[in-house]
Amino acid sequence: MLTEQSAYANRWRRVTPVAKGCFSLCGMIAAFAAGSPRTALIIALILSAVSVFGAGIPLLRYLRVAAPPLFFLLASALSLAISLDFSTSATGVSLHFSGSDFSRIAQASSRSLACVTALLFLALTTPLSDIISLLRRCKIPEILLDLMTLCYRTLFVLSEAVHDTMTAQSARLGYTTLTVSMRSLGGLISNLIVQVWQRSLALHNAAQARNNDGALRFLENSYANSRLSISIAVVSGCLMVALTAILP
Amino acid sequence: MTESILALQNVSYRYQDDTPALDNCSLAIRRGSRTAVLGANGAGKTTLFLHLNGILRPSAGQVLCGGIPLDYSRSGMRKLRSLVGLVFQNPDSQLFSASVREDVSFGPMNMGLDEKEVRKRVEDSLQAVGMTESADRPVHNLSYGQKKRVCIAGVLAMKPEILVLDEPMAGLDAAMQDELMTVLDRLHAAGMTIVIATHDLDFAYGWADEGIIMESGRLLADGSPTEILLREEVRSALGGAPLVAEIIRRLLLIGIDLRDKGYLPRSKGELLQAITAQIKQEDTP
Repeated sequence: MLTEQSAYANRWRRVTPVAKGCFSLCGMIAAFAAGSPRTALIIALILSAVSVFGAGIPLLRYLRVAAPPLFFLLASALSLAISLDFSTSATGVSLHFSGSDFSRIAQASSRSLACVTALLFLALTTPLSDIISLLRRCKIPEILLDLMTLCYRTLFVLSEAVHDTMTAQSARLGYTTLTVSMRSLGGLISNLIVQVWQRSLALHNAAQARNNDGALRFLENSYANSRLSISIAVVSGCLMVALTAILP
Repeated sequence: MTESILALQNVSYRYQDDTPALDNCSLAIRRGSRTAVLGANGAGKTTLFLHLNGILRPSAGQVLCGGIPLDYSRSGMRKLRSLVGLVFQNPDSQLFSASVREDVSFGPMNMGLDEKEVRKRVEDSLQAVGMTESADRPVHNLSYGQKKRVCIAGVLAMKPEILVLDEPMAGLDAAMQDELMTVLDRLHAAGMTIVIATHDLDFAYGWADEGIIMESGRLLADGSPTEILLREEVRSALGGAPLVAEIIRRLLLIGIDLRDKGYLPRSKGELLQAITAQIKQEDTP
């Protein structure tokens, strides 16, 4: 939901998604082109600074959105660095810190970090409907995009249904003790399954009523000065890639 | 009855669980009318509407459009659904796209219109329901009433000749109901036939020029609401009569006839006026 809020309320909301996509892509290229962990970290810093200061996303919100992927990144870096060894010691098992691989792990982690910031930039500045229309221009198969559109919309419908049902259950003391909670949860899940089925039927009817015969077609948004913003995005993105070539 | 634009002839329909939703139902909707469809819950109003748009196909009997039986082929349905716009009761089951403008464009895009025309229709229909300012907002951040208006815009953008609305007033506050009424009146004045399913007897009495009363999947009565809503069997099926009609009837019982100038009050405002006029008349000897 935080991502959602930013995507609809940031300084670059009205900038064409093509420009933002290009910049994000350049960020990822730069992340892979970075020769050292230090360079990759600089790229990550640039990308997050652009998101916070350029697109005007509050720093605190940025950190909160970034926290879950960073946690996974940390966990995977640790699991790469530390390995269990069953052969060496007499006691059976020992923790083994692979110091020799350290530079490789640092390289991989810092690159991933830069990639995460590049993707975050796109996710936090562009609403999903814009991202989908961008993917449509990239000739991604329609069926995938339709699925994305429907999933995204139903996500909110379902979360609202979950919220409403849980509120109604709580109002009748549905979550007071553990046993009662388990039973309420069971009720919630079975109720949701029925709702999903009914809603999909209703959506199908509604689509038919508006003359639909398969693919979901929508009007694309138009953006002012899109040439200019795409040029700016591409130039600054290329500068970022060039930076990785200059830095060691 | 003058020319009917849509009609059901002896239509029966059963859902899969075998409950008969329509049972040998025959009725007609007059071109250019303001038709109110009334009936208790489960009387078959929604099923009737799904038939008008060709979503459901009768198990027996037939649906006529302009006097011709519906053609259930792909191209026939395309034509029918461009002609009959259906607005569902629950806006969440009708809105697919996350953005308002995108969703409104869904129907016209399906009709295969060119982009310029679609863009114009989308802006026009957003304007008609007063949602232009919210065009770029995500659908899930809208209020219930706003979602409902987006649904109506989505159907208006297809420029139907008949607008069929399933309980459009349900869940709207009084101000929003008035706004919606203004929108519908404007559309009707422009020549659109409007069909509304409602539980609001007072609204049906004041607004409609044609009433259709359903009971257990059958037509119970049809005709002028000022007449049929007072019939005994209709009163018992709907659980009451419109307030305005009831007051006029009670006053008549004690010898006050508000209809003596050949004019029948249909809304609360008109009733107040008539009563005030009556009192003034009695005061002046």
